[in-house]
Amino acid sequence: MSTAADGQPAEEQLSKEGAESEYLCWFLHRHLDFRRQEVEAILGTASAPQPRPVHWRQPYGDCEVSPFWYLHLQSEAEALLLTERCMIPRGIYEIWGEGKDMVDLQQSIEACSAQKLAAWCSADLTFKVAVDGWGQTLTQEQQVELIEQLAFLPIQGRVKLKHPDVIFHLIVARWQENTGLPEVPHRLYFGREVAVSNRNATIKRYALSSRRYLGPTSMDTEMAFIMCNQAQVRKGMLVWDPFVGTGSILVAAAHLGAQTFGTDIDIRVIKWGKKDPAGRPVDIWSNFKDYGLKPPAGLVRADAHGLPFRSNLHNIFGAIVCDPPYGVRAGGTKLEAKPRTNHLDPVDHIPSTAPYALSECLWDLLDTAARLLIPGARLVYFLPSIPHLYQETILPTHPALKMVANSEQILTQRYSRRLITMQKVAEYDSAAAKAHLDLIQPSLRLHDEIASSVWQPRQEEQAGNSTTNVEKRRYRSKLV
Amino acid sequence: MKLLTHNMLECRIKGIENRYPFVIEASQVDTVEQDFDPDFLRHMYPRLEWPALKAAADSLGVTGLPTSVSEDMLEDEEFLKVFHHALLEVVLIEGFLVCPESGRKFPVSKGIPNLLLNEDEV
Repeated sequence: MSTAADGQPAEEQLSKEGAESEYLCWFLHRHLDFRRQEVEAILGTASAPQPRPVHWRQPYGDCEVSPFWYLHLQSEAEALLLTERCMIPRGIYEIWGEGKDMVDLQQSIEACSAQKLAAWCSADLTFKVAVDGWGQTLTQEQQVELIEQLAFLPIQGRVKLKHPDVIFHLIVARWQENTGLPEVPHRLYFGREVAVSNRNATIKRYALSSRRYLGPTSMDTEMAFIMCNQAQVRKGMLVWDPFVGTGSILVAAAHLGAQTFGTDIDIRVIKWGKKDPAGRPVDIWSNFKDYGLKPPAGLVRADAHGLPFRSNLHNIFGAIVCDPPYGVRAGGTKLEAKPRTNHLDPVDHIPSTAPYALSECLWDLLDTAARLLIPGARLVYFLPSIPHLYQETILPTHPALKMVANSEQILTQRYSRRLITMQKVAEYDSAAAKAHLDLIQPSLRLHDEIASSVWQPRQEEQAGNSTTNVEKRRYRSKLV
Repeated sequence: MKLLTHNMLECRIKGIENRYPFVIEASQVDTVEQDFDPDFLRHMYPRLEWPALKAAADSLGVTGLPTSVSEDMLEDEEFLKVFHHALLEVVLIEGFLVCPESGRKFPVSKGIPNLLLNEDEV
């Protein structure tokens, strides 16, 4: 990670205790619904379970989908924490000025506090200027021309292209048609780089393409880390994935220093693994070993509908993170109660299973989380959703859990999934939970229709009108 | 299977009273060194059933755990090291977990217990 924080003035910045300063948080155009939630979750890790109030300022032009959000931070150490852990911010910048064109930008920088500039413009510091285009690529000539127009800046240091003390950025947002990007107003930003994202290194290190043991629903690396960030996973906690599969979520949790615990009904968890292309046996343990990560503290083959945790076990997990089986890609199963027909030793018998309805699976998950999470800790899970049928009122609720985030990930035109983050806000009370289940049962059952509704033509399609959802435009993710 | 996991699990067969703890029948036990994290141990201690941990450790020949623990012992590094070893470093690789009442055996293979019940046991 390249950063200017090891220069002298950064320490002065850090020593200003308690004072909040405003920074530009430049997001990738990815997972728009997750962006601010992820940042807030990570800023809250230090103060958890108490949330840390986070002040945002809307991007220029009140453009919600713009990648240029302003954010208040208590210190530059917080900026480093964000870029170290978060997947979606591209970098954090201290902005000295912004404007619609160069004249406007110059006026804005000249109005900026002289003190702020002086600290970073001194002759002792080496620097470079980077020009970043958003919405269009800038040629080398265009970049040079823009840098020349910055000659008015009082920078006295020497240029150094490799590892300078300070990197200045001129960010040029120029939206163009047919890029698939949202129409963000043209804008120039100039400022100092505080911290840049570490995501590429993390994603490369844990790329599924180089992992030896995978299943059909292994969670992609970026999302596994976003999920663990939402759950505020950190060192010293025990993190449970009740649908562990090949362990892709727990790999992220182990990287973040947690002790991990996984359960699954699926044979793949305890199967003799597979052979990798080189003919070596691989299994869930080898996924952790290959990365030099702590192996899970526990893996158990068990039914999520009748978990074998002792009944007096409470408040043990620091986070629960999972992707429940919804039936669109992999349906859930649970054990089925019926007489057994063969006379094998019970140890050798393969138990029969029945389909596990999503409504039942969701309730089991929420109710178990309400019991086994430490108060204040978080449950993070994916819920399938059909955009034109979705209503917030059908989200599963529990008396001991409060929803803190709900972010939609667009998968196809007619199918998305929502990452739900819930926090345990009350001690578990089984009588209250039972009474609550009776109350929400009808709305919970609506989730059972989702797998079949994905492929059903919508009413308006049947009627021949191809109306699109105009309430909220949905964008595809791009790495810009 | 570490003894931490053993401590959390019970037999869910229908119609029995005495489900906890499982008796361990070991055919292969390994010791795997783990990072020593006193905060994790202090966090886990109040959530554990100490007599079950002690009995499981004894049955695997892991010595040194006291019969009972007092709060101030959680600051004693010597005790914490013994506790750490028993909870996280001793691993049952192959063997069985045996239900204390019904005697039903659940296999442990490659370190993973299979606690699935048969259809007549649910």
